[in-house]
Amino acid sequence: MALEVVLPKVDMDMETGVIAAWRVAEGDRVNAGDVLFEMETSKSIMEVESPGSGIIRNLAPVDGAAVAVGTPVAWIDDERADAPRALHATAADASRRADAAPPRAPAAQASAPRAAARTADDPPNVTDEPPPLRATPYARQLARASGVDLASVHGSGPRGRVVAADVVARAPAEHADAADEALVPFSATRRIAAQRLAESVRTAPHFYLTAHVEMTALRAALSERSRDVHRAVGSAPTLTVALAFLAARALMRHPMVNASVQGPAARLHRHADIGIAMDRDGDLVVPVLRNAETRSLAELTADFARLRDGVRAHTLPPAELAGGTFTLSNLGMHGVDAFTAIINPPQSAILAIGRVVDTPVGRDGQIVLRPLATLSLSSDHRIVDGVTAARFMADLRQSIEHPAFE
Amino acid sequence: MSRDAVRAVKARVRPELAALDRATLRTALLRMHLIRRFEEMAEQSYMRGLVHGTMHLSIGQEASAVGAVLPLRRDDYILSTHRGHGHCIAKGADPARMLAEFFGKETGYCRGRGGSMHIADVEGGNLGANGIVAGGLPIAVGVGMSIKAQKQDRVCMVFFGDGAANEGAFHESLNMASIWRLPVVFVCENNQYGMSMDIGQAMAVANVADRAAAYAMPGVTVDGNDLPVVAAASRAAVDRARRGAGPTLLECRTYRIRGHSKSDRNLYRTKEEIERWRAADPIPRLEGELREAGVLGPSDVADIAAEAQRTIEAALAFAQSSPDPDPADLLRDVYAA
Amino acid sequence: MPPDEVAVEAAARELTYAEAIREALAQAMEADPRVFLFGEDVGVYGGAFGVSGDLVHRFGKERVIDTPISELGLAGAAVGAALTGMRPVLEIQFSDFITLAMEQVVNQAAKIRFMFGGKASVPLVVRLPGGSGTGAAAQHSQSLEAWFAHVPGLKVVQPSTPHDVKGLLLAAIDDPNPVLIFEHKLLYKTRGVVPQAAYRVPIGRAVVRRPGRDVTIVAASIMALRAAAAAERLAADGIDAEVIDLRSLRPIDLPTIAASVTRTHRLLIVYEGVKTMGIGAEIAAQVAESEAFDCLDAPIARLGGADSPIPYNPVLERAAVPQEDDIVAAARRLVRQGLA
Repeated sequence: MALEVVLPKVDMDMETGVIAAWRVAEGDRVNAGDVLFEMETSKSIMEVESPGSGIIRNLAPVDGAAVAVGTPVAWIDDERADAPRALHATAADASRRADAAPPRAPAAQASAPRAAARTADDPPNVTDEPPPLRATPYARQLARASGVDLASVHGSGPRGRVVAADVVARAPAEHADAADEALVPFSATRRIAAQRLAESVRTAPHFYLTAHVEMTALRAALSERSRDVHRAVGSAPTLTVALAFLAARALMRHPMVNASVQGPAARLHRHADIGIAMDRDGDLVVPVLRNAETRSLAELTADFARLRDGVRAHTLPPAELAGGTFTLSNLGMHGVDAFTAIINPPQSAILAIGRVVDTPVGRDGQIVLRPLATLSLSSDHRIVDGVTAARFMADLRQSIEHPAFE
Repeated sequence: MSRDAVRAVKARVRPELAALDRATLRTALLRMHLIRRFEEMAEQSYMRGLVHGTMHLSIGQEASAVGAVLPLRRDDYILSTHRGHGHCIAKGADPARMLAEFFGKETGYCRGRGGSMHIADVEGGNLGANGIVAGGLPIAVGVGMSIKAQKQDRVCMVFFGDGAANEGAFHESLNMASIWRLPVVFVCENNQYGMSMDIGQAMAVANVADRAAAYAMPGVTVDGNDLPVVAAASRAAVDRARRGAGPTLLECRTYRIRGHSKSDRNLYRTKEEIERWRAADPIPRLEGELREAGVLGPSDVADIAAEAQRTIEAALAFAQSSPDPDPADLLRDVYAA
Repeated sequence: MPPDEVAVEAAARELTYAEAIREALAQAMEADPRVFLFGEDVGVYGGAFGVSGDLVHRFGKERVIDTPISELGLAGAAVGAALTGMRPVLEIQFSDFITLAMEQVVNQAAKIRFMFGGKASVPLVVRLPGGSGTGAAAQHSQSLEAWFAHVPGLKVVQPSTPHDVKGLLLAAIDDPNPVLIFEHKLLYKTRGVVPQAAYRVPIGRAVVRRPGRDVTIVAASIMALRAAAAAERLAADGIDAEVIDLRSLRPIDLPTIAASVTRTHRLLIVYEGVKTMGIGAEIAAQVAESEAFDCLDAPIARLGGADSPIPYNPVLERAAVPQEDDIVAAARRLVRQGLA
């Protein structure tokens, strides 16, 4: 019965070794304890002794290959009666070369997740996350339970952290029948809008200019064109669309009012993309009339109708609800005389339009009634100074009171 | 005249051999064969990658282990070293459960949690091999205190190597065993080397037993490869401890044929030295003496060797077919109750 | 009061912390012949801190054993005795000297049961006078309990009152595992009500010393007493502090702490051991991982020992570990400013 000569494991972490040289030759007679071959390990060269006596055969080749521990590398024809029987080697039939499994490679360089690099060429951060909201876990728990929007709570803790007391102060007082009152969670749209508007108020220093603008000429101009436009595009031009037309052109003459804050700089936009604030099932959405300064009244009317219908039907893609450079908000149809709006970040201004009211004004020493609308411009004082805003408003008033739609 | 003495005179055998009856000698030789076969089997398993970690073989030191333990009762205690497979078998451990432990199996003496260096057979009086050099010495002091406090007549035998004799724990332990006259037998298996450092460079005195005087106990040095001599010296020390006369330091000078552990390249000693000690192999030496003295015939010796071989092969089969522990049991037995 | 803690008897009597330990030892040795005390100077000298007192005269030299100065050997002896049927109580004269015995405590006592697959146990107790404030300087003033609370297989307790030290020591002697009991040197002379009976305080159970609403202060040993005193001052200042005395460091009573933080929303951990990598770090992490996390209204704060050895000079010595003033200031800062 042949006795196996195996490549021995000698170190705790050893998995393979290399036969460096045989000290005996095929067919030699060997005795137990004789050195048969030299083995190379990661640490040093080691002599391997014979496990028994007899004739040694089938020596494995010396070719530098890594051999797995336990692999037979030769056989001894055993002649002693009481020699230990060879173990059933698990690798007896395995090839003499270690399998292709590579030694444990050092951990591959983990590629660090690359944060999206912000460069000056990036588009304005209309879709970026707002800065992290600091709030203690307990404050968050209370806010969740009471329906308070953390983003709207002023944090009294360190670094503006919202603490429980801040939330408690904001939460509605508890009524005896509080259980009967409805608690309506924000829709996704509202949640996002709420965050952005709160951020706008927090970060943009708003100031307001008001102008009472005479609408006589504009009304007349619109009614002149109404039938033609309607015939061309299927709907009549509204006051809002007309104002968008005029504001877009005025913005081209006052670029700082058609700009966005980007870091410590103002990005001046090439086009006037006018957002029109609209209500959709109780939520505020702002579809955008793109490149408004190049479009005719008819084109703008058609586009506006399309946007309005798309908003109502919930078919308007999100891309059309974002990215304006200036916003118009008209609450006149709801009977509001005047109001000031919150800038739609990252824009630098927003125009709030009140209702047209016959108002007594002085003309040529007489008191007459004229249709006036109160327009309020909210501007971001980081980009727009008082004079800049005033000049824009003057220009806009002039366009409205002496409109030209060619 | 005792029968032993008569036999001694008749057969011209030395008293140490005559002091051991045939049954005892047969048991001793069987245990030495068991140890040898076991160590070789463990070695083979290791070389084939079947055993995790490393192991410390005592091939060549069988007479020291078996001779020292021979006079002990089953209820006497031993504490052993990282090179403790031989002590464990000498004390009567089941090689199957030992090998199962080396294979990390649930059926091993330590349920796979300890491995070669921590092998223990608590029911059989083996309070464990120890992975820390000199780790067992202070523990032996406590065992001695415990035996005295419970008024038992047991003995605690603690094994250690020449390297341990330079640890602080050695000195503290011998001192306390002596001042309190504890029933402890300190057995130093001096195999001339720590890991790679020879005792001539490591130790200020020539024999470990020279230090016994510093602790006012008997110090005895014997040829650790001569089983009857080891047994005789051990018997004297064990009897002394058992009758309450206190501890003894017994030094068995021996040699380990294999390296310190499996990764030892043997760069610190010469082949000639290893060969010289291989020629002084305690097993053939004892067999020769027993045959000459007419205690055993050649077929007896062959039978013993074959019995040992069978036992070890059965141990291998048992170990290989035993189950592995369940990782869900990882935290079991960290604490009692 | 929890059912397994004995109610105070009608005839309440006071003992010092040291006397309470002595009474526990005496009662344990009377009840169980396997229990014995050994260590340096515990016999006729009566113990370096007067704890063992006259025990040697009552129980004899075989039960109260004076030893040579051999901490490593003694710790191993405790292991060997515990392995073979005894219940040894080893007194290490200053907790700092446990360093000489680390091998036997950490490699042997803590691990033997596990290494032997559950076939053995090591029911030993090591008593360790520790802590600073006596001018004993760097090598005799340490608080090393965190090292051992880090070792699986060991149990670690730190009683703060005479009542608790007696109950915990008796529980430790009963326990089949190795238990380290860290006694603070400055506590030996403190007095408190101690019931006569041989009661146990369960290992692993903390106790609320003072209920409160505004902040949870967790501490052990002498720091628990300082925290309680600080809480009275804070109350006058309008801050209602809940004080929890840990009593055990391994295992730690997380449920009690987490329940408290859920109610108060703020956590301050006070400990004498060096702050960095100490028990406070572990408790803070465990609370942050628990359901109490969502109830935190401020970061978790820790007050611990300075990152230096204990100085000799008394002013520096005081400054190196938390004092009552420090606890008051830290609690105020946490509650009023939300700062750790």
